[in-house]
Formats: sequence, C-alpha cells, structure tokens
Amino acid sequence: MSTLEIKDLYAHVETKDGIKPILKGVNLTVNSGETHAIMGPNGSGKSTLAYTLAGHPKYIVDSGQVLLDGEDILKMTPDERAKAGIFLAMQYPVEVPGVSMTNFLRTAKTEVDGKAPAIRTWTKELTEAMKRLRMDPKFATRSVNEGFSGGEKKRAEVLQLELLKPKFAILDETDSGLDVDALRIVSEGVNRAKEANQFGILMVTHYTRILKYIKPDIVHVFAAGHFVKTGGPELADELEENGYDVYLPEDADPESALA
Amino acid sequence: MAQTQEINIPVADPNDSYANPAAMPSSADRAPRSFEVSAFARPDRTQEDWRYTPVERVEEFFDVFRPSNETDISVSMIDGSPLADGVTVDRVALGDAGTGIVSKPNDRVSAVEWNSGERATVLKLEGEIGQPVLVKVHGNGFAMDAFHLVVIAADHTHADVVVEHDGDARIAEGVEISTGKDSHISTTFIQEWNKGSKQIGNQRIHMGEGASLRHSVVTLGGDVVRIRMDQDFGGEQGDLNMLGIYFVDPGEHIEHRTMIVHNHPECRSRVVYKGALDGKDAHSTWVGNALIAPTAPGTDSYELNRNLVLTPGAIADSEPNLEIENGNIIGAGHASSVGRFDDEELFYLQSRGIPEVEARKLVVRGFFGELVEEIGIPSISEHLMNVIDKRLTRGESDAVAQVLEEK
Repeated sequence: MSTLEIKDLYAHVETKDGIKPILKGVNLTVNSGETHAIMGPNGSGKSTLAYTLAGHPKYIVDSGQVLLDGEDILKMTPDERAKAGIFLAMQYPVEVPGVSMTNFLRTAKTEVDGKAPAIRTWTKELTEAMKRLRMDPKFATRSVNEGFSGGEKKRAEVLQLELLKPKFAILDETDSGLDVDALRIVSEGVNRAKEANQFGILMVTHYTRILKYIKPDIVHVFAAGHFVKTGGPELADELEENGYDVYLPEDADPESALA
Repeated sequence: MAQTQEINIPVADPNDSYANPAAMPSSADRAPRSFEVSAFARPDRTQEDWRYTPVERVEEFFDVFRPSNETDISVSMIDGSPLADGVTVDRVALGDAGTGIVSKPNDRVSAVEWNSGERATVLKLEGEIGQPVLVKVHGNGFAMDAFHLVVIAADHTHADVVVEHDGDARIAEGVEISTGKDSHISTTFIQEWNKGSKQIGNQRIHMGEGASLRHSVVTLGGDVVRIRMDQDFGGEQGDLNMLGIYFVDPGEHIEHRTMIVHNHPECRSRVVYKGALDGKDAHSTWVGNALIAPTAPGTDSYELNRNLVLTPGAIADSEPNLEIENGNIIGAGHASSVGRFDDEELFYLQSRGIPEVEARKLVVRGFFGELVEEIGIPSISEHLMNVIDKRLTRGESDAVAQVLEEK
C-alpha cells in the first residue's frame, strides 16, 4: 500500500514573455488501488501537473512537496522518480531514433528493477503483453515510437506501464487520438495492469469517453492551476452535461496558459 | 530490321563551355596532380577544398619540413603474431620503385608529405590471408613527422588491413592503396590520437577490375585530423564500400573528404559516414564527392553522412557533391543530415528509469551500431563501442575522468 501526496504545489514555466505561473496550490492524495480522474478545460494546467510529477525540466517548482510514501520526489531526477515508482504515460510519446523498442524496454526494466530481467521469462512476458495489446511483433525491433501511428504510440505506453509495474501511473490524455477499438484495447491494458499491480492512477482527460472503460473512484475538476471541485463518478456526467464554464474565473482566457 | 544508329559524341566549344554542358571539363580534369609542392597554392579558406578547415591551425603542413622520424611503425598480424605467408613488408626510400604508384599528390599538403618524408612502408598482400594485418603507428611527440604507407594487394587476394594511430603526433601521412583484379580487401584506419595531436592525411586508392574494397575510417581523437581520400576504378565491376565513424570532442576539428571517381562501367560505390559531436566548438566536416565520368555507364553510387549533435555549441559541416556526366546509370544518390539529441528524447528515456548517461549511451550506440558492425572486424567493433561508451561516461565520476585524461 503506497500513498502519493501532493502538498500545496506551485510551479511555473519560463516563456519568451517571462515567468508564467501554472500550478497554483495543488493538493491531492492518491492511494494504491484508487483511480482519480482529473478533468478540466484546456490550459488549466492538467498536463503541467502530470509532467511536473514526472520531473520534466521545463516545469520549475516554486514551492510545495510531492511525497511518495513520505519521501519528497521533487528532489529526485526523472529517472530516480521512475525507480521510486512514478510512471507517466505521455500524450505525445517521443520518438527515439536508433534505439530499438526491445533494447529500450530491457534497459528500462533493468534500471527500474535494479537488476536485469531473466531472459526467458522477460521475452515471454514481453511477447504476451504485446499480443494482448494487439501490437504487431515487429514493433519490438523498430526504433522507439518512430513511425508509430498515434494509436500505436499509446499502446506502446500502456505496454511499458504493464512491464515496469509502477506504484502510481499518471495517464496524460491517453485517450486522445484513439478510435473506438484502440480506446478499448488501451483501456483494457490499463485495467489489466492495475488489476495485476494495484497501483494508483491519476488520469488526465478532457472527455468522459475513457471513463466508460476505466472507472474512476474519484473525479476532480482542475481549473486555473489547482483543484476546484472533487466528487464521485457522477461529477464526470455533470461536467459532460454542463461543461467547465462555471469553474472558470470571469477574466480567464483558457487558451493562454501553457499546459 | 535492325538499324545502325550513329552516335554523336558531343564536342566541347573551347570558347564557351556552357554551349555544350555534356562536354564540359569535369572537376577532375581541372584539378592539378603533381609531385611538386609548387604546383599547388598555399591553402586558404577562399579555396573550395579548404573552406571548412581551420587553416591557421595546420599551417606547419603547408611547407616542406624535416621529419623527426620518431614515430614508431610496427607491422604484425592483429593477434601480435609474426607476418603470415603472403604478407611482406619493406621499408624503402620514398620515391623508390613501389612508391608513388597510385596517381600523384592532389593538393599542397600531400605534395609536402611526399617531399618531406624520407621512407615508406610498403605492405604487399597475396593470397588468402587468414587474419587481419595490423600496422601500428605510434607518435612519440609533437615534432613534425611524416609517414607513408603503400598497400599493394595482388590479383585474387583476400585480406584485411588495420592501421592504428595513437600517441602524441604532428604527422603528415600519405597512403597509397592498389588492389588487384578480383581481390577482396578491407582496410580500416583508426585515429585515436592524444590531445593536441594533428594529422593531415591523404589517401589515393586504385581498385582492380572486379575487386571489392571495404574502406573504414574511425576517428576518435586529435586536435585536428583531416583526411582526404581519392579513389578510382581500374576496370569494370568494382565494388567500393567506404565507412566512416567519428566522435568529436570540444575544440577538435575532424574532417573527412571522400572523392569517388566512377571511370569504368558497372561499378558500385557506397559511402556512409556518421559522426557524433560533443561540446563547445567540436567541429566536424564531411565532404563527399562522386564523379561519374562519361566512360562509366551502369554506375551505382550512393553517399550518406549523418551527424548527431549531443550538446550545444558543436558545428557539423556536411557537403555531398555529385558530378554526373553520364545519364545511363543505375543511381547516384546522396543524403546528409545534422540532428540533435534533444531534451525531450532524454526526458522520455529518463522518465522510464534510465539515467542520463545511460540514455546518451543508448542513443549513440543506436546511432553507430549498424555501421560499427559493418566494419566486419569483431575486435575493432567491440573496442570502438567501448571507447565511445567511455567518452559518454566522462564526467560521471572523477575517477573515470582521471583515466581519460591520462589516455
């Protein structure tokens, strides 16, 4: 049983026009086995929250803590956070030319576990996981994400989630750009991984579509850099019905924030 | 009924070369070839061949000098054993029979090398040579020196030659390679000089009819290393494969120029050079020329250069040139790129638990991997990857840095 606590987190980015505060006092606690949906308008800072937790250098933390079982991960490099048990499934997974998926996955697994996986069981695990995600075996020999379609990239993210077995999975708009079938396959993958490893999930999304497949226990509304409302699954339906307008401050320009 | 068709070969108009482009003189016709230094102007950066070279850092190679003769040259089989049957080595005076056999110097520095050097190492290969021949060139200081190597492979010979350069040096090097009919030869030149070393190299290569040559160049160290390689074919069905790998550290200038001449029908050439650049003012240059003469129908040629810039502040110049004087060919392709190992790639790998140094290793190994395999000599491939890994580990710990300083 693990706990991820975000305490009064403030962060900014540096832009051409100067410092731009994005996260403005984020507070949240997630336990193993819980699924939290984080919903909110464009530009509210949802993705920034996801990347800040993973340690992207572009987002600079001003104050606050993020405690994973009591230890502040904000003091760690991105790879140390991954080893501690944080996994970020990215909205736009990055292409890494020249590095094969196989080599990448084995290296990541070795680093995260602190020891190389036994060849035979590893190969079997990889092959089966790919099969369940309906991934063509030839992906294993291709460069990381290179030439993958949007749907293939998302499947590859879920494949890593299944193999690396984190304590907390942050899914940043994993539903975007997926057709109905791909959405189902990807969601099933997430559910399977959660079933097996009982990790906590922070799921960032605009739409309720994915919530039909990955059932949230708790739904949050994120606006203007912090959580403004928290409720049960019924909150998602309400948002679908009424939109985010009521949560936006009067003078807000939702497209202006870099999220 | 078959009809005899008269072919008109275009004739150049001496007053206006553009009147008949197909008959224009090619660059090879214009370029001087001479054993005399005075045939060549002193290099400066207004000259096309020298525009990328920091000429002020290699001025000492522009005039005839007295060689120190302090460079150690040794020749053995790659496992250290004495020369196998079919391998002979002679030390002869430069200019004697058996030297100056492949074309003539083609620029100022190669003419200077020819006139400054005193002795040549002549390596003759004949038959099936089981393991690679290793020529070790070890520099013992920064006094100017010259080294001249002639490699002659007899008809039908199968052999591999590895030339390793290390130590401290300021060296002008001339290499002549002549391969016989239907021979299959590989030559691998490794430059792993200490800091502050300079090498100005010139290679002239002539391949026999039906011969194949795999020519690899690996440059991993030296303050300035500039190697020009000119090649042509001696008959039909030649197959040339030129591979290059370079890793450029801060402040270094590493330059490779491959000049391929297709002068016979149905020959094939491939040039693939890849380099990684790390740090401020790391500078690489690759210039690849391919000339396809009117006498070379059925030519199949391709040249490629890729550069991976690992950290900001490095400069990679990449220039493929094609001069095609024959329309009846299979292909004449080229590709060139300079790319950056960017922060997003690094973050992605890190976010999966892979530390920064390991991430760089993964990317650079991936970048060079295939090419390193192609060199085809396992001990070299392994050594290469280890050296590159070590470079990327630099700064990881003081102990490692210490070792590298001492290398």
